[in-house]
Amino acid sequence: MNTLKTVGHPASRVDALQRVTGKATYTGDLHLTGMLYARVLRSPHPHARIRSIDASKALALPGVKAVLTHENCDVIWGSGDTKNKRYLFNNPVRFAGDAVAAVAAIDRHVAEDAIRLIDVDYEVLPFVLDPEEALKPGAVEIQPGGNLSPNNKGEQKPEAYGHGNVEKGLSEADQVFEDHYSSVHLNNAQLEIRVSIAQWEGEKLTVYASTQGISMCRIELAHDLKIPLENVRVVCKYMGGGFGNKNQVHDFDLMAAMLAKKAGAPVKLEFTRKEDYVAVHGRWPTKQYYKVGVKRDGTLTAIQFRGYSGMGPYRKSSGDIAGVEMYQCPNVEKLVYPVLTNMAVSANFRGPAYPQGVFGIESLMDHIAYELKMDPIDFRLKNMTRKYHDELPYTSFGLEDCVARGAEAFEWKKRWHAPGAGDGPVKRGVGMAMGAFGAAVGRSSAVIHVNSKGEYELHVGVTDVGTAAKTTMALIAAEELGVPLAKVAVVSGDTEVCPYSVGESGSRTTTHTGYAVVHAVKDLKQQIADKGMPVGDGIRTGSATPDPAQPKDSARYSFAAHFAEVEVDTELGHARVVKYLAAHDSGRIINPLTCTSQVMGGSTQGIGMALHEELLYDPTHGVPLNAGYYGARVMTHLDTPEIGVLFVETEDQFGPFGAKSIGESSIIPSVGAVANAIFNATGKRIKDLPITREKLLGVLA
Amino acid sequence: MRAFSNANPKSIRDAVSMLGQAHQQGRSASIVGGGSDLLGMVKEHLVAPDVLVNLKAIRGMDQIEAQRGGFKIGGLITLDNLSRDQRIRKEYTVLAEAAEKVGTPQIRNAGTLAGNVCQRPWCWYFRNGFPCLKNGGKICFSASGENQLHAIFGGGPSYIVHPSDTAPALVALDAQFHIAGPSGERVLPASEFFQLPRVDVARENVLAKDEVLSAIQLPAAKSGTRSIYHKVLDREAWTHAVVSAAIVLEMDQQICRGARIVLGGVAPIPWRLPKVEAMLVGQRITPELAAQAGEAAVEGAHPLAKNKYKVPLTKAVVKRTILSLNA
Repeated sequence: MNTLKTVGHPASRVDALQRVTGKATYTGDLHLTGMLYARVLRSPHPHARIRSIDASKALALPGVKAVLTHENCDVIWGSGDTKNKRYLFNNPVRFAGDAVAAVAAIDRHVAEDAIRLIDVDYEVLPFVLDPEEALKPGAVEIQPGGNLSPNNKGEQKPEAYGHGNVEKGLSEADQVFEDHYSSVHLNNAQLEIRVSIAQWEGEKLTVYASTQGISMCRIELAHDLKIPLENVRVVCKYMGGGFGNKNQVHDFDLMAAMLAKKAGAPVKLEFTRKEDYVAVHGRWPTKQYYKVGVKRDGTLTAIQFRGYSGMGPYRKSSGDIAGVEMYQCPNVEKLVYPVLTNMAVSANFRGPAYPQGVFGIESLMDHIAYELKMDPIDFRLKNMTRKYHDELPYTSFGLEDCVARGAEAFEWKKRWHAPGAGDGPVKRGVGMAMGAFGAAVGRSSAVIHVNSKGEYELHVGVTDVGTAAKTTMALIAAEELGVPLAKVAVVSGDTEVCPYSVGESGSRTTTHTGYAVVHAVKDLKQQIADKGMPVGDGIRTGSATPDPAQPKDSARYSFAAHFAEVEVDTELGHARVVKYLAAHDSGRIINPLTCTSQVMGGSTQGIGMALHEELLYDPTHGVPLNAGYYGARVMTHLDTPEIGVLFVETEDQFGPFGAKSIGESSIIPSVGAVANAIFNATGKRIKDLPITREKLLGVLA
Repeated sequence: MRAFSNANPKSIRDAVSMLGQAHQQGRSASIVGGGSDLLGMVKEHLVAPDVLVNLKAIRGMDQIEAQRGGFKIGGLITLDNLSRDQRIRKEYTVLAEAAEKVGTPQIRNAGTLAGNVCQRPWCWYFRNGFPCLKNGGKICFSASGENQLHAIFGGGPSYIVHPSDTAPALVALDAQFHIAGPSGERVLPASEFFQLPRVDVARENVLAKDEVLSAIQLPAAKSGTRSIYHKVLDREAWTHAVVSAAIVLEMDQQICRGARIVLGGVAPIPWRLPKVEAMLVGQRITPELAAQAGEAAVEGAHPLAKNKYKVPLTKAVVKRTILSLNA
């Protein structure tokens, strides 16, 4: 791969100084003149009909300026449910934490007092938490039409994928392995808690949001509030993370806007950490059933998969369970049931469908390799995907290098041993797993100005959700311009001054908006070539909205393989990751410094998902018990091992300078790698996440 | 958060009289030391005090003084200062280690020794506002609910575990608790300060509403004393003990002359193991004896549906912690 001048060299974030000196203004830091504060009243019941709601005492409290309930607010939150109508305030309420009312008042204390003065008469309804239970006859119906949420054709059937003939494949197998795995609901646990500030100036609405995509947030605000797009401005200059639960517009943005309208003053709506955990969304819990046919030499003949995803009561996202497609196999059948339950809503969380699905398939493949007495590395090299769904060639393919070079760097051959081997209560073991995530190209926009001093100002509608997107965009512009990074200033995070951008979801910012930056610069360079540099106080402006597509008969993916070494104290049931290596093919790496950080962050989240994290529910009352950082056992620095990162850079002809995706692929193999390492250490396989002390001692003691 | 008034007494006597006054007037009062937990509980509406009696303005209540051959530690000392005190670390290692294992650096910088000892339980039913016994209700939801982290000893009718790390250490050290009340001071051995739910389900200790845990007296350290605090956590920091062991041994050459073993995380109070202590006295500490001690430690355990793992865990913790003191 050819070396570039700016791209590919580690660069500190362009806004690092503002961030570490506290000068960066996050949404929560903003204060508008005359601003009111809002709080939300939430259902204590997992499922209940509101017989009556009486806010008169709240309204009578001095300082209360507006109260919204389902009785006076019928705004539908479009992206809150892709199948059914989800109002800002629903009746019935369908999970513990569903919004019942919102209050705006002169200060936080009055707002908090006010929500406690709202009398709600609930008729408590039966509820169901488990997706398989929810499909049984007689289960309470959570939405009209039943608890199996429709597939993408609108049918009340599971999502189905397949090729070949699974029955035939299973009959051709020398051995058939059948097993089941499960994963739990866990929260995105991003650092920045929800906050939204809405301000109306006449018909014009400005929302200071904490969003992973100002453009989508704006489009959906306009749509849901039924106002013209040009009347909506969304600002998010700095934001503190979301990992997928700040995509699009959220109900709190809409509530802030409606309260501000009703009260005639700007409104700041804030969540507590606990609300953030229960009322937004987390990763969907899954039940996974596999049947895999294999020849004696390790060749796969069939993969049959049936999975259930608990979506909570509103279908916000796909509910897919991914991972099977990482293997080449002539006969595949996959059925996924997205099921409505009365748990907290489940939707996008970094690689939404992947870490839990990959945990399942990679645990099982690890086990098959073990039963066939094959090194798991050899088994992967033999069976890994070479074409997407055994059909479409990849535009570039680094999975084999991730596995082979990763294994070498990790010293796999030296560390891997017979499962459970070793004397003494403290055992070490290693495990690995693969990952793949889409790196599609697509439409986005960029604008770039230059003045007579040769200073460039790049306008992109990105928000930096922690990935250093502003820096990435500046690096791409500087490279294409052939100027030092310092010559490029980035204006972002404000729809008033930035063009459309795809949004910080699906690991698309670099591939989509980064590509638009390349073309905006090309446009500008052409103008300079034609007309020269601007003089005096003139400027020249380049812009582009490319809509690239890779060939239809190809697939564009990023790949990864993670390797973990764990130490398991078999008497204390204590598992700890002591060594970790993540090998990634993300095409060309634009900024090795921040890209490495992405991998470290994703790996860390995955280790937490493997070992501790869960939003635990009381099954009798249907309410969560451990919402928040303390209770849900989110990773701390002390839990995080040193994480080695190896980039296997493949040449890819699409995307900016051949860059693929990274944000989400970083978490995908981690859970499976840790789980397999625990098997290698102990000889026992835990099939239900998280792999807690309780479960370890259950099989070891 | 419900509005409250804040009082800043300048002396312990003033604090006690403010508490008494509030109660006579029918107003509820809460004592604030570091405030790291209390303010959270107020925000969660788990307590709704009319008055906060803030002890931080009382001078000298955060000091360690050499007294009666041992040390008298003011209740207001921060956990961080306590854990860093070289005298404590050297002669009362178990206490320094316990203080060091509490929460996070931020919590240890604000949280106080007396506050840690008097901390309310962290049972998730209690903390989520269920109408449980601790919240003035009629049942313990953990008894038949999610009881992974609950008591295997001394439970019933409530199955909370005592959340303090320093409390087992103080019981193991045979500390004396100085309690200031309206009629002066009373002094109790640490082991008599804590009380089981079957004695009083509403409170974890004997403090009356108008009393303050003002200081803790550590007895003179006997020669040959070795002590240790071992805490098992669900992640590497910032959880309460799943199981912990505070162990103090008096060793004469290789022979154990005295032992105090107190567990945390397993019972509604710091759980002392007198029978196991007796097993060790007069003996040479060997791996076999330590293993027997581990077995004996769980005699009489009554695990609930989801905390059976605490039994083998407790065995291992007791065995290992004893052995590590012999190393």
